[in-house]
This record gives sequence, structure tokens and C-alpha cells, in this order.
Amino acid sequence: MDQNQELEKIILENGREQKAVIPILQSIQSRYNYLPEEALKLVCEKTDITPDLILGVASFYNHFRLSPAGKHIIKVCTGTACHVKRSELVHDEFSRTLGLEKGSNTDKNGKYTLEKVNCLGCCTLAPVVLIDDVTYGHVDIEGVHHALRSFEQEKINKNKKSLTVGREKDLQGEIRVGLGSCCVASGSEEVRKSVEDSVSTHGLNIRLKQVGCVGMCHQVPLLEIIPEGKDAVFYANVRSENVNAILKKHFRPPGFWRRIKTSIFDLAGDLQTDQNWDGIERYELDVREKHVSTFLGGQVPIVTKYRGAIDPLDLEEYIEREGFRALRKCLQEIPSDELIGLIIRSGLQGRGGAGFPTGEKWKRLRNNPGRIKYIICNGDEGDPGAFMDRMILESYPYRIIEGMIIAAWATGATEGYFYIRAEYPLAVRRIREALQRCRQHGFLGENIDGSGFSFDIRIFEGAGAFICGEETALISSIEGNRGIPKLRPPFPTEKGLWNNPTLVNNTETLAQITYIINQGVGSYRQHGTEKSKGTKVFALAGKVVRGGLIEVPMGITIREIVEKIGGGVPGNRKFKAVQIGGPSGGCVPSWLADTPIDYKSLYEVGAMMGSGGLVVLDDTDCMVDIARYFLAFTQSESCGKCTFCRIGTRRMLDILNRICTGKGTNKDLEELENLADWTKKGSLCGLGKSAPNPVLSTLRYFREEYEAHIHGKCPTGKCRDLIRYTIDDHCIGCTKCAQNCPVDAIPFTPYEIHVIDQEKCIKCDGCRQVCPENAVTVN
Amino acid sequence: MIQFRINGKIIETVEGKTILEAASAAGIKIPAMCFLEDQDHFPSCMICVVHNAAERKLLPSCSTRAEASMDIYTDDEEVLEARKTALELLLSDHVGDCEAPCQTNCPAYMDIPLMNRLLVAGKINEALQIVKRDIALPAVLGRICPAPCERACRRRDVDESVSICHLKRYAADFDLSQPTPFQPGIARPNGRSIAIIGTGPAGLSAAYFLIQKGYRCVLYDKDPLPGGALRYAVPDERLDKKVLDQEIGIIRKMGAEFIMQHEIKEDALPGLQAVFDCIIIGTGESDAGFIGLQKRSRSFITERNTHQTSLPGIFAIGSAIKPGRVAVRAVAHGKEAAYSVDQFLNNEVVRGENRMFNSRFGRLTSDEIPEYRAESVNGPRIITENLQGFSPEEMQKEAARCMHCDCRKKDICKLRIYSENYGAVQKRYFPAERKPVRKIFKNKPVVYEPEKCIKCGICVRITSKYKEKLGLTFIGKGFDVEVGVPFDQADLNALEKTAALCAENCPTGALALKENDND
Repeated sequence: MDQNQELEKIILENGREQKAVIPILQSIQSRYNYLPEEALKLVCEKTDITPDLILGVASFYNHFRLSPAGKHIIKVCTGTACHVKRSELVHDEFSRTLGLEKGSNTDKNGKYTLEKVNCLGCCTLAPVVLIDDVTYGHVDIEGVHHALRSFEQEKINKNKKSLTVGREKDLQGEIRVGLGSCCVASGSEEVRKSVEDSVSTHGLNIRLKQVGCVGMCHQVPLLEIIPEGKDAVFYANVRSENVNAILKKHFRPPGFWRRIKTSIFDLAGDLQTDQNWDGIERYELDVREKHVSTFLGGQVPIVTKYRGAIDPLDLEEYIEREGFRALRKCLQEIPSDELIGLIIRSGLQGRGGAGFPTGEKWKRLRNNPGRIKYIICNGDEGDPGAFMDRMILESYPYRIIEGMIIAAWATGATEGYFYIRAEYPLAVRRIREALQRCRQHGFLGENIDGSGFSFDIRIFEGAGAFICGEETALISSIEGNRGIPKLRPPFPTEKGLWNNPTLVNNTETLAQITYIINQGVGSYRQHGTEKSKGTKVFALAGKVVRGGLIEVPMGITIREIVEKIGGGVPGNRKFKAVQIGGPSGGCVPSWLADTPIDYKSLYEVGAMMGSGGLVVLDDTDCMVDIARYFLAFTQSESCGKCTFCRIGTRRMLDILNRICTGKGTNKDLEELENLADWTKKGSLCGLGKSAPNPVLSTLRYFREEYEAHIHGKCPTGKCRDLIRYTIDDHCIGCTKCAQNCPVDAIPFTPYEIHVIDQEKCIKCDGCRQVCPENAVTVN
Repeated sequence: MIQFRINGKIIETVEGKTILEAASAAGIKIPAMCFLEDQDHFPSCMICVVHNAAERKLLPSCSTRAEASMDIYTDDEEVLEARKTALELLLSDHVGDCEAPCQTNCPAYMDIPLMNRLLVAGKINEALQIVKRDIALPAVLGRICPAPCERACRRRDVDESVSICHLKRYAADFDLSQPTPFQPGIARPNGRSIAIIGTGPAGLSAAYFLIQKGYRCVLYDKDPLPGGALRYAVPDERLDKKVLDQEIGIIRKMGAEFIMQHEIKEDALPGLQAVFDCIIIGTGESDAGFIGLQKRSRSFITERNTHQTSLPGIFAIGSAIKPGRVAVRAVAHGKEAAYSVDQFLNNEVVRGENRMFNSRFGRLTSDEIPEYRAESVNGPRIITENLQGFSPEEMQKEAARCMHCDCRKKDICKLRIYSENYGAVQKRYFPAERKPVRKIFKNKPVVYEPEKCIKCGICVRITSKYKEKLGLTFIGKGFDVEVGVPFDQADLNALEKTAALCAENCPTGALALKENDND
């Protein structure tokens, strides 16, 4: 097919109107890996889309590439959790390894393109790297080479015939054993033997495949089970004695028809597994460190009810477990005004960050006489360090859909949209499938469940713009525009999508609805505090032993989350602060850890609920660097419209860059506070208004660290321009550092104390990471 | 109709009107840059902010609907500070010169680029008038000026500076060769008279400008002929005294009264004060003094820009306050003192000559030179023998070497005007490393200078409204967002229908019509 025909097809699938522009660009990019100018011009010729629109849109969203990229794309996650685990060094190492020239992000052979991505939402695996569809977790400097080797190896394996012990006919599934170098070192060979034994003992017809390094070498050995036609399950830290039980959980011997669930299920459940592992491609995106059930204490599952126990897409199972009961109740018994009253009384507030009362918002939409009304589920989770929406969308699609249909019933909405980040392809696939199944079962479409009420939902995939989490920008984006926020009022409930009244609710908000209806307002109000009701889902990550997705009642203290649920800070380090609310939030210091988590208390300590990213920081984290990190994020994600946000954040970043490189002055600190103040006061949308928060909160609690930088010292040794690496007399002369130094700054001197040439040193941290004696010091 | 408060007054307006509309109907002016009537609102510049005291919030008045509960202040301290900060932020991302460096380096602040353009166009009389806006003795200076302007000329970064001094001389000589040389307009006599002590370049210049403002000027000199150091210190081979006489003749014709061979003694000031409203001292470098006036070594002590001495109503200029006998500086002082005297006698704050806010960006880098060369012709600097001026051909060739470093919109640029009004400081947030400047001529008849753009999007909205085939669009986002032509096609003009409209409505010098050059 030539380009012309291909484009015709793409246009046919997506439409010719302005609103088709983003889907069309997405299709073109997935075909060519970038947006060729010729293709864009052809689109302008063949559709209503104008050149100014197509270029304006294509250049606005991070997802789109306007110049050719390599065959494979390496994305280094720069989310908060990855940042505090030094993903920047990982990025630099890739750049060196690929021999990238300055100003170019594609290697000479056009094989790899290196990019940074805001957040992949795999924060507990930080630092995370994605090569095409393969996720690598805990990537350190050495991990970069492992990841590249393993990726290359995997490409070869794909072409090789796999090791098969079964017959192709009546195949029950596939078992994959990691046999990368670290896997072998940790005993995966024994695991493989156990699998073979078990398979032949039980007469299973299974394909056994050995695979290369997955990159998550701290959790080896790894075992992945893919029962034919079902979702795959992923096991970490597997011992050979576990194998039998794992296999029994997934496969039954031929002729054995009864389900074995009971005792074997429990046994397998104790292992660190990941039920949501989707094995369609190897090493899918959906990798998480620990099974969420290992740290359930103190949590209240409302949004995450039945976690780890239900198959996300199994509609029958959902229905068995109260699914669509709330919807039926509403359709049959609760008139819409009563339903809205119920939601108002429940005290539910929007979980997207600002905490607007949900029921009130619904009421506004309901009271609008418009004939066409929209409801949008905001799943554009752009906060670095947050992955709640992703997990909820992937794991509880029906719960959100049900919540949305109920909202539609209450407000008279006629059509729904899921706005989901492009970085979450699995969530998109799951929701798409779930919507299809709902339609098939009469829960969506005309005359829902025989009630006479009709409503359907479509999916809109975002294209990578943090600002689109703001509701008016999100609406602009669906309309096929640059994601520029609009001045409110008018609010979307008055004038929203295509000027029709529109309700925008956060994913988590919608996932709380069924609980309120099924369990009653009283039961819901039991959770939380006087002012903030219910639960909040947090993405717990950073310097914490057990990171993951947690759902806690409002009012729980920060300390309870970090210490009880998270298991405290690892590695004998000291808990320093938590960053709550991402780029809009702030850093709460450890001495305020008894602050309860609710909208008001967090606001008072200078943070914000935000959408729920919670990154724990320890005493090795530099607070000035954290402030700079977030500001770099917001300034690059600013839509660029208003003066105070567009330029104000940039000038604040300039000052922070000066401070972090030892060029700051006391006057800079003054000017920084002044600019922060004006950016807050003078910006029109939430992004600009909250962008200074990370700076203001760190200035408030950690001012002495700023002052130390001005005096030329980074107390935690993070700011590269203010530190030097040296080797002390613990050095045993093992030469590992010399071998690993990418710039030959350490002469090879076996059995002697090594010395770092400060002129050559690029402070990549490689030597410190490989030193077995902790002899490399940073000061 | 709804009622709400602006600056404490109750205003009535139709529901749905913006605060700006309601205010302007009530005769209250609010500044705005990104706002264009009859266009969708796209509030971005934030210059129109007002303060709603009822909610303690700043609001963009151009797009916020007036509401009954509002208590708006349009000029309180918070608002003024917000506007100043917004302007300073915009200026930190605005790389451009308002005035050309030659002009800012000229002590007399003469509009050199405009003179050059008029000369190229053959409008010699107009060019001379531009010169004489600031310089009383251009033919004299055209021969002896050390030309600090030429040291600042950007053309020096390309090859050699433009021969500004000789171009000015060409215009002045041309004028003097006419039957009736140019004489500036003179205001009706205001009944006040000024004594000017000394008839050197400083005193002559002061008289030239004061007479235009309606003052009677009496000039005293101990020497028999006026001209001071110009006559008695500059050798004839550098300055033909006939030229000096001609230019003094013009001032005399304007009404200056010369009392020659009349030395003012050190105790004579009180006597003069009894007769004159003000006294200007332009006695040159000298040991002589006046009772009651402080001196440091050989110079009278004066306030910097106003030239006021320690005694009210007495001013001192030229080499009398700064030795060195730089004629152009003396001429500049004379002009400045004229402003001061005028302000003093009208009971205004004495500030001297008001120089408007001026954005400047420093030296050109080698990458930027081609951008600037595009506005000039190639060719080496033309040098003339000292006593012989340019031929008309030489003059035109040389003037065409000028690179148009001044901004085309310098007189109407809103960014400049508001920066002046709100006291914005250009360098407050200006980064250590500035963006490289560009001048894009592709979309005739418009010149686009992206680094002057404040991203208000007025042009983007105009091209979209009038359905330009290509039009303009925002490219990128955040701090790096830029207005540009989609696909950047060299063969297609993006502004087929809307060039003039875009240039006219662009609030800064980012988009300007090339043809408006001769003002």
C-alpha cells in the first residue's frame, strides 16, 4: 500500500472533521514512528483539517514526533520516583552507550532513539526504562547494558524456535523461565528443572520457553505462566519448591475437570505475583513489584475492592460480586434528583486534586436544560509519580463504567468519554474490551438493562500533555485542539465539549460511586474525617520498603502510610519528607508526619492532595533538586499561554538552576520567592497557580538547604556541579571502578588505591555503584 | 443590567459584558495587549489584570465577565505591581532593540536610522529635520564630531560602521546650500526670558531649543564673535568658520540675542537673576566661577540629567560641567537644559529630557549578522576627505549600508509604552544567555521578528478568521512556544490577505510592515 492509500484508510477510520485530528495523528505515528510532513499535507488536502491546526496540534503534544526516529524507542522514565532514584544518570548512560551526538537523540545507525518520558506509572520499579514494549525495572548504570543486551537477545529469541516439551495440539499454555545471567546466578536453572519435572509428572501439555534477562534482577528468579487463551501471570523470587504449586494453580491435568482453587490458591497467593500481568507481548507494561495484598493492613478497599482476586475483564465475575447492582438500583428505584442528593450527602469530593464536591457538580449538569450533555472520565493521569488511575483503569474497568453510567442517569448525560493517557496502552485495551462486553450485555447503548435509558461511552486517547488533566484543556483536546485551558466561568457544566454542558470527573471519583449506592451513604461516611469523607487511593513510591497502590481512609496520617503500610524507609536511611500531590503539591517534612491526610490539612502544610502521588524521600534526597525537578516539569508542561506561567516558571527554573550549580545568590532566593508569589497569583489555570508549590514548600521547610547551595555545598551530595567523587583508603584495588568508568577518569591500578581524575570525571556515579567496599565517597 | 464597583464607584453594565468593556464605557482606561475587539478572548499577556477586592483575586479584565458582587480596583498597588512584573517577565523573553545602538550611544540621542532611511529615499530635507530635532549645529558637528554613534554601529560587526557623521553633514550642508535653510517651528513667546552665559555649542544649543519653546534668549560672551571653543579652539582646516557662522545665523534668525564682549563677573548672578527667569552657564573649561556656585576642580557641580546647580533657577552645561570639549556632548547638554528650564519654570518635576523606556540586547553574534545584513546593501564604508562631503551617489550608497537596527514599531509598541508607564526594568529577569534574534522577510510585505513576539496570538486568530491558506499557528508549547507558518514553506506566502491587519494589530514589533520604514 502506498502512503496515499494508507492515509485514505486512516482518514476513513477516523473521520474528516477537525475533531479527528489527534486520532489521525496517532494512527500516522504508529505507522511511521513519526509524522512525515508529506503525510500531514495530504491529510490537509483530504480533510477539513487545516495546516495551522495540524501543526499546532502535532507540536503541542509530547507524544508526537515531527522528525524521524530510530527503529526502536528507548524511553527513560523521569517520573518522581525514578528521578529520586537517579534516572538522569541512567539516561546519560544510554546516551553514552549509544554514542549519541550532541543535539541528536537517535544513534548513527538509526536503530535506537532515546527519549525521556514524564512517567510510565511503574513507580515502584524505579528507575524504569521502556524499550519498545519491554519494561525494565530498577535500571542502574550496569542495568543499562543488561537492558540493551536483553532486548537484543529477545529479538533473536523471537525468531528462534522455542523449546517445546508439548504437542502443538491441545496446548494448555506456555511457561517462561528467565534465564538471564542474574536469573541463572540466583537459581533459575533449578526452577527450570522443577518445571520440567512437574510438567512430566502431571502429564501437562505445555510449552516451556527460556527467556533472556527481564531487567528486574533484584527479584530473580522470574517465572511467567501463560495459560492458553488467558492472561498471563508473573512470579518473582520463585524457588524450585514453589513450582509445583504454581503450576497446579494454573493448569489441570488432562481429564481432571474440577477446579483446584482452595489450598493451592492460597499457597500461590503468598508468593509475590502479579495477577494483572498481561502476557500478550513479552514483558508487558503492567509490571509491579509486589502483590498488593502484602501490605493490606490499614487500608480500606472501596475503589480497589476485590483486588488481586478478580479478573479485570471477567464480566460474569464482576456481576457475581455485586457488579451492576448499584446501576440497577438506580435505574429502578432512585430518581435522579434523589440520587444526586445521595451523592451530596455522602460528602464525596473530586479525587482529581481540587476536591470539588462531586454531587454539586452533578447537580449543575442536571439543572442545565441542554439537550446534549456529556460526561467525561478524566484518566489523563499526568503527574509524575502517580499511577492510581492506570491501576484503577486496568484493574477495575467495570466499576468505573458503572459509576459513569450512574452519573449519566443522575445528570441526564447522553454520551460519555474516557480520556486516557496515551502512555497507558494496556488501560486503553482493557477499557475498550470492557465497554464492548458491557454493550453485548446490555449495560451500554440503547435502553440500558431494559430501563428505557440510553447512554454509550467512547474512548479518547490523550497524546501526552500534562495540562490536559485540567478539565477545560481536556475538553479542548477532545475537540481536536491544542490543550489550552479556558477561563472559568463558564464552567464545563455550563459550556463544555462542543459548547454543550459537560461533566468531567476523575477516574477514582467515578470508581467510588457504586460503593456509596451499594453500601449506603452511612457506611461511606464512616470512613474519613469530619470534612473529607471516604478513601483516597495513593501511589506510594520512592524511598519506601513496600511501594504500590494503596487505598486508605481520609484522615490517616502520613506516618501511618510511610511506616505502617510502606514499611518505612529502606537501607537504614532516615525518613526526610514526603512529596504529595506531584507538581501541584509540596513536600511535607518528617516532623509533620502526623499530619492527617485530608484536603484542608494538606493545604495548610503547603501541599495538596493532588491526584495522589506520594513519593517518600530520605536523607539522601536534595530538596532543592526536588523543587528544581518539579519546576522543570511544570515549565515544560505549561501550555504556554499566560505570561506568569509561561515565563514565570521558566525564570524560577533559571534561578533554581543557578542555585543547584552553585551560582545562586541571596538575591536569587528573594527573587525566587517573589516570582513564586506572582506566578501563583497571576496564573489563570490550576497548573500555573500550583506550579510554585514545590518551591514554596521546600523553601518553607528546608530553607537551610537552599542557603547551603548558595554557599557552594549540596548537603546531600546530589547536585552534580557541587560535588566531587573520591576514593578513600577502603579501596582494595579490585579495579572494578576503573573498568566501569565511561570516561577513563580512573587509571587501572590493581591492588592499589584507585584515584579519580577530577578533570575527566563526569559524576555519573558508576564507580560508586560498582564498588564492593563502599570506598567511593561523594562530598 | 447589573451593578458593580470599579475604583469605589458603582458602575452599571449589561450582563455578559467584560470588566474591561464595562470600565471603558464608564471612561476608565485599562491597559491591554493581547486583547483585540471582535475576536475570541484569549487572555494571555495579563497586562489587563484588575483586582477584585471582594475575593482578593487578580482577574484578566479583558475576558472576565462583570458580576454584581465585584469590587474592582484597576490601579491599586497590587495591580500596578502585577502589571510591572508581567511586563518584566515579557521583557525577559523579548530580544530586541527599541532604538538602534547608534542612537542610544549618541549623546544627543539623534534618530540616526531614520535619517539614513530618509537619505536613501532621497528625502534630504526630511532627513535634515530629523537631525535638527536633536542637534542644533549639524553642519558643524558633521565636521568635528568624534562620532560615538559610529563606535556603537552594528555594521561594525559586519565590516565597518556606517559613516553616520558624514551623512549628517551631507544633510546639513545640503540644507545650508538652499536659499532658505530649515528653521524649526517656534511657539508663541511666553514672556519669559533666559540668560545664557557663553556662546559655545552648549549655549547655542540651549538657545536653539528654548526659543522653540517660546522663551526669549539673551546670550552673553566675553569674545567678540559667538561660537566659543568652536571658533577659537578648532583650527580652520577642521572647521570652516563660514559654516559655523551660517548655523549661528539660523539661531540668530530664530530670535537669539547676542551681547558680545560682555564678560559676566563672578558676582553678577544676582543682578541677572533679577532680570531673567533662569540662567544657563555655558562658559566652557575655565577657572572662573560665580559666587554661590560650587565647583569641583574646574567644573560646576550639577545634577546629572537636569543640569541644575546648587542654586535654583541656575543651570550649567557643556565643558563647564564636564571637561573635554566634546561638541556633541555640549550640544546635547544644551537640549537637555532646555527641557529642565521649561519644567522648572512650569513648576513641574525637573527631570530633564525624558528618554523613553528602551529595550536593548547587546552585541550581535556571528549567527545573527546575516539576519541583520538582509536589511542593508553590501559594500565597504565610503570615506571622504575631511573637508569634502559626499557626492549624492556616495551619500545614498553609504546610507543604504545602515541595517535598520531600530524597531519598526518603536513609537507604537504597546510593550514599550506600558513598560515606560509602569516603570518596568528590562533586565530584571533577563537570562544570562539570550535567544538568538531572527528577522524573517518571507511573508511580504511583513517583517517577522520572532524574538519580539509576546505570544498573544492576535495574528494567529486573524489569519484563522480570514481563512488564510497557510496562516500562522502556535508551534510547540510552554516557554518554547512560537508563532510560525505551518510547514514553513518557502514558496508560499502565509499572509496573502491579512499581512497589513496582522502587522497593525501586533502589539509589539514582532510583525511590522516593511514599507512603513520612512515613517
